[in-house]
Amino acid sequence: MSAVPATSFLSRYPELGNSPLPVYPYLSTDYYDKEIACIFKQDWLCVGREEEIPNPGDFKVKRLDFARTAVILIRGKDGKIGAFHNVCRHRGNKVITETGGEETFGNKKGAMMTCRFHGWTYNGSGNLVAVPHEDKFPPCFKRSENNLVPIHVDTWSGFICINLAAKPRRSLPEFLGGFRTHLDGYPFSSMVHCHTYYAHINCNWKIGMDAFSEAYHVPTIHAGSFPGLTDYWQDDCAIYGEHHSMAFYSKDMNPPTPVGSKANEIFGASIALKRSEPFPLPKGVNPRRHKNWGFEQTSMFPNYLIHVAEGLWFTHQFWPISQNKCLWEGKYYLKPPQSNSEQWAQRYAVTLQRNAWLEDTATMEDTQDALLSGAVKQIHLQDDEIMLRHAFHIINSRVEAADKAATGSAK
Amino acid sequence: MSIRLPKQFSELQPFATTWALATEYERAAQRRRSQPAELKAFYDAAIKKLPAILKRVDKYPLGQIKGVDVHLFRLALSLAEVAPHVEFYGCDPKVPFAFAEERMFGFHCAIPD
Repeated sequence: MSAVPATSFLSRYPELGNSPLPVYPYLSTDYYDKEIACIFKQDWLCVGREEEIPNPGDFKVKRLDFARTAVILIRGKDGKIGAFHNVCRHRGNKVITETGGEETFGNKKGAMMTCRFHGWTYNGSGNLVAVPHEDKFPPCFKRSENNLVPIHVDTWSGFICINLAAKPRRSLPEFLGGFRTHLDGYPFSSMVHCHTYYAHINCNWKIGMDAFSEAYHVPTIHAGSFPGLTDYWQDDCAIYGEHHSMAFYSKDMNPPTPVGSKANEIFGASIALKRSEPFPLPKGVNPRRHKNWGFEQTSMFPNYLIHVAEGLWFTHQFWPISQNKCLWEGKYYLKPPQSNSEQWAQRYAVTLQRNAWLEDTATMEDTQDALLSGAVKQIHLQDDEIMLRHAFHIINSRVEAADKAATGSAK
Repeated sequence: MSIRLPKQFSELQPFATTWALATEYERAAQRRRSQPAELKAFYDAAIKKLPAILKRVDKYPLGQIKGVDVHLFRLALSLAEVAPHVEFYGCDPKVPFAFAEERMFGFHCAIPD
């Protein structure tokens, strides 16, 4: 191993090594299957925000293609959120009809879910409460044994997280650890005006995660939409178990333009324009209260990136579909606008961000396609790309552990 | 449907049918099929009237704009859609070096403003 300068991020995390990373984890179906089995079906995954289902009976159904299922998140009459597989216990129909999109929203009166096939009805706790012609079922049929199949669910700062394991190895707080403390206090719940974009991208889910896990690409990829962010640096690198965090600092912002400046004057909603309003940040975020701090890039393992800034926050999530296909969801959160002009100003900022995301997503299919050639066997990362290295380190150690366990049991 | 803008916005009248569009999808599609010079002409006309439009729509509570002012607000939203292209992308009607825009969807993009 060659020497790493003492001031580098890598010098603080020597366990991550500094060698090039292999390419096969982006291409191998075997590797992908192991990721699904020992990460996505074992760890906590964020699937929504509490504000999406504020009232009793409100539900969201989210497709989870990697697990060949869809999860129902429903707020019960008691205000508690339940999570269930969207599968009727009678003959397996979907209890809530999905509208064909990735997410289906609605409200069930009294939080009662009735399957449209034969009318089996479940309450917000998933209990089977009504079966038409129940007396015609044989005596071995017990209503109490045929509740909706539950999924472990918990929340943190308004984030709804599920765990598909029969028995999660850790609770959500244990899983989040110091990552939770790092972001606790950020006013996620008061900045709930959300603009969501999504796309199916023909690349491995990690190609997508990688692209948003460093700022090295900003001067090149975002020369179009963020011409003011070329002189940047990264700092405040912190690793919390599987999760991590790093800050983006920029010497300048986008240059003033007639529409951009007007929008920013009405409502500061863009990461590329300086916002003038004071904003309360958690202690550990921009700890020196540096004026050039732009935003914090954080990652909740395995597939959720939460970026927090002053006056706005945004997330990226990559859902695996196959070894070379994923679903990307980008969400941009602001305080709800109070006037029509504020709504207009926010739309300018969101449009500019949408365009920047179009710039980001542009590389992903090309990268996958080029790696498939097999011409390149390994990739090289610089110090600012330590978050990619950390993610690889965690994922690969899990996959290797699964391999070892499989070899052990085969003996 | 013909749109008649108030007299003080007559400079925007030639753009009303093309750009007073209800949804983000429609505004982005119109931007993509425009010529660079058409984007510039619309931008130049709309930026002059932007302050007056925003002042006018703020007479209504959020989301409750009525009558012809709905069209004026949609023209302002089209200006927001077009602005990065004129201010940053050299009037390129597409986002340069981008993922296929038609393959990126948005939950809010089909909802009329």
